[in-house]
Amino acid sequence: MIQLNRNYHLVPQTNDTVKIKIVGLGGAGSNALDRIVLDGVESADLVAINSDVQSLTSSVANEKVQLGREATRGLGAGGDPEVGLTAAEEAIDEIRSALDGAGMVFLCVGLGGGTGSGAAPLVASIAKEQGALVVVFATMPFTFEGKRRSAQAHDALASLQIAADAVICFENDTMGDAVSPKAGIHQAFAAADETISQSVRAISQLFAHPGILHIGFDDLRAALANNNARCLFGHGEAEGDNRAHDALTRALKNPLMDRGRLLDDAHKILVNVAGGPGMTLNEVQILMEELGRHVGDESHILFGTAVDPKLGNRMSVTIISSISVGVQLPAARPARITAHVEPAPEPEPEPVPEVIEAATPEPEQELIADEEPVAPPPPKPAPVARPKPVIKAKPAAPELIPAADAKPKAEAKQETLQFEAITRGRFEKSEPTIVDGEDLDVPTFLRRNVKVK
Amino acid sequence: MGKDHILVGLEIGTSKICVVVGESKPDGSIKILGVGHAPSRGVRKGEIVDFDTAQKCVHEALVDAEEKSDVMIQSVYVGITGSHISSFNNRGAVNVPEDQEEITDMDCENVRGAAKEVSIPSQNAFIHSILQHYYVDGQDGVLNPIGMIGGKLEADFHIIHGIGNRIKNTIRCVREIPLEVEDVVFNPLAAAQVVLNQNQKNLGALVIDIGGGTTDFLVYVDGAVKQTGVLAVGGDHITNDISMGLRIPMARAEKLKVEEGSVILGNSLPGETILLKDDHGFAGKEIERETLNTIIHMRMRETLELLRRTLLQRENYLDYLGAGVFITGGTSQLKGIDNLAQDIFEMPVHRTHAQTMSGLTSAFENPQFSTAIGLIKYAQAIQLDRPSGWLSRIKRKIPFFG
Repeated sequence: MIQLNRNYHLVPQTNDTVKIKIVGLGGAGSNALDRIVLDGVESADLVAINSDVQSLTSSVANEKVQLGREATRGLGAGGDPEVGLTAAEEAIDEIRSALDGAGMVFLCVGLGGGTGSGAAPLVASIAKEQGALVVVFATMPFTFEGKRRSAQAHDALASLQIAADAVICFENDTMGDAVSPKAGIHQAFAAADETISQSVRAISQLFAHPGILHIGFDDLRAALANNNARCLFGHGEAEGDNRAHDALTRALKNPLMDRGRLLDDAHKILVNVAGGPGMTLNEVQILMEELGRHVGDESHILFGTAVDPKLGNRMSVTIISSISVGVQLPAARPARITAHVEPAPEPEPEPVPEVIEAATPEPEQELIADEEPVAPPPPKPAPVARPKPVIKAKPAAPELIPAADAKPKAEAKQETLQFEAITRGRFEKSEPTIVDGEDLDVPTFLRRNVKVK
Repeated sequence: MGKDHILVGLEIGTSKICVVVGESKPDGSIKILGVGHAPSRGVRKGEIVDFDTAQKCVHEALVDAEEKSDVMIQSVYVGITGSHISSFNNRGAVNVPEDQEEITDMDCENVRGAAKEVSIPSQNAFIHSILQHYYVDGQDGVLNPIGMIGGKLEADFHIIHGIGNRIKNTIRCVREIPLEVEDVVFNPLAAAQVVLNQNQKNLGALVIDIGGGTTDFLVYVDGAVKQTGVLAVGGDHITNDISMGLRIPMARAEKLKVEEGSVILGNSLPGETILLKDDHGFAGKEIERETLNTIIHMRMRETLELLRRTLLQRENYLDYLGAGVFITGGTSQLKGIDNLAQDIFEMPVHRTHAQTMSGLTSAFENPQFSTAIGLIKYAQAIQLDRPSGWLSRIKRKIPFFG
């Protein structure tokens, strides 16, 4: 019998070729960084960047950059992104030297505050300037932190989406769901940091150990390509007889996955299965079949598998995907966009819709399309740090159209509503039975408009 | 099971609550000892909406059953339904450990666990996971894999789940009486046990149980449960339609439906009327027969068509129903319902009730009691299946308790 060396494809040297730097920016970023160190990460340099000296000194990173020696004098940015940005611009050379020579930069940042939101786009673009691939792990603030913070976070996220190669966005709200309601608040934040740490490790492993079926950076980008996306991430490891099944269950248990329910809506799903040399095809098959049940029929699975001798008897599954949360953002955005971009077209369609419901969407779309080229050209200044105006104009197009589209439709529906109260008789107070949009508690002959008597 | 065993089925229906007391004979047959029933209040669409009133009605029915059967009832099997219950088919797979040659019952348990590893809404709980078939290393149609040699064991299950708290409420209602709840059973599953025989289950059959508040259905193909479901439309809806269409009180409408109603159109003479008597027996309102039948027909046709569409939605099991359609439940007594169903499903339709029992014939020949009698049959089947003894009983505690 011919025996093939199973490990022939493992090229340990690849670790050296890509130098990974993990950057924690701002308060939340350095917390996440500390967690990553605690969990242990292989062959990566850690850089902490912060304007708050106190938190910077307590950080465990081996390289530290203080922002805004002049602007903030060692204090934080006070929740103001402008301050955060000036502070970062002051230290631009230090950031540059800290990131020098990295092939890949993982930037962990909590958006919504001053340092994180203000400096992140600048740091990301500096890293990119130096030729590194930039993956951003951003956390969005809790809703209870206020609308102002969430608006700042969304602005920063939009700039990051342009400045970085890939953005993985975590929502604190969903991550908070994972901990029991009685758990202390530090536990909730710790859970969030743990999720980030897991995903950083999982992704760095993805690139550090090229697999039999390799997942490339292009796959990662494709899986995260949704704009305004909510990231789905899950990672699980298990050993034992049923390790394939257990690993998947653990991956799906991640709060960002919602027990796999959200996967149904995802278009592209990146799945990486890794295991020790003993991993069998059968196990991978069971795992993928099981996963297939959570995934919609049309979604595209970007599958990769790798053998990593370090895993020993364990098997690990990493699932990364994104779904667009179109509902939230468009609601928040168009208001600002209309204020910025169009003084002229707004008043025109506004009074009309009631009369021409069906016809309005098209002219309105055209109006926006015409308006579009006018807006972007002026703001494209040389400093990469302030791409905000460009972004605001760009997503405006896809978002405004649905918004404008939806408005007249809703009105058309309202007009067809019957004003006469529909009676449900004895079922008036019970839970309605609605099938295919019909309320079955209302007598059939009434719904079919059949005259009786 | 070595000795005679008293089994009690309790169905908390929308229109009536019934308790059937039966005796499980050592040879596997069942003798019906007594049936107690009471009109139900506080139940809408198969679910309890007024806890105290419903509890009183359950109590009435129990007392009635105890009197008639001369049995002290201590524990019951409870039937549940409601639109919150849904189901799906799922396959579980496990690898048989390498150092083990034969498939053991542990593996069968594991495969059941694996099949349950699916995302159901967080407030839902599993009610049943019914085995369909095993696969050993891809070989299908294995009925009993224990002792077979194989590396990979898979099994198809039909999984039924519903909102945990609503099921708990039903259980609490019964336990506060106080009565022990042995198990909860999804209604159509119970009804099918007595409506169908093994041959019909193998041939393929659709059981439709049209009750007061809900229409429950279940499909058997190749002897395995393939699809189940609930449509929260039942006889109550017909009564409500009549009451609203003819502007008469609900009680009158119910009586009219039972005594005069039919789903067949064009069978009455032109201008034929029904004279409604008022409370004192004097002539009251005149109602055109065709109008009454139109109202009933439209509702029934819609319900059955909806059912057909639901069945076609997933896999087309309608093509596999060799034995045809079996209609049971209180509303199945409606005149002409079998003809209408035959028209819609395009296959033989039977109006049935519980079969092959001994004891009170008047009980099992009434389709209203199919589910409650079915509960006894179901209880007998699972008790035969599981080894007796207190230990095993503790092991199999119902998850909703506590």
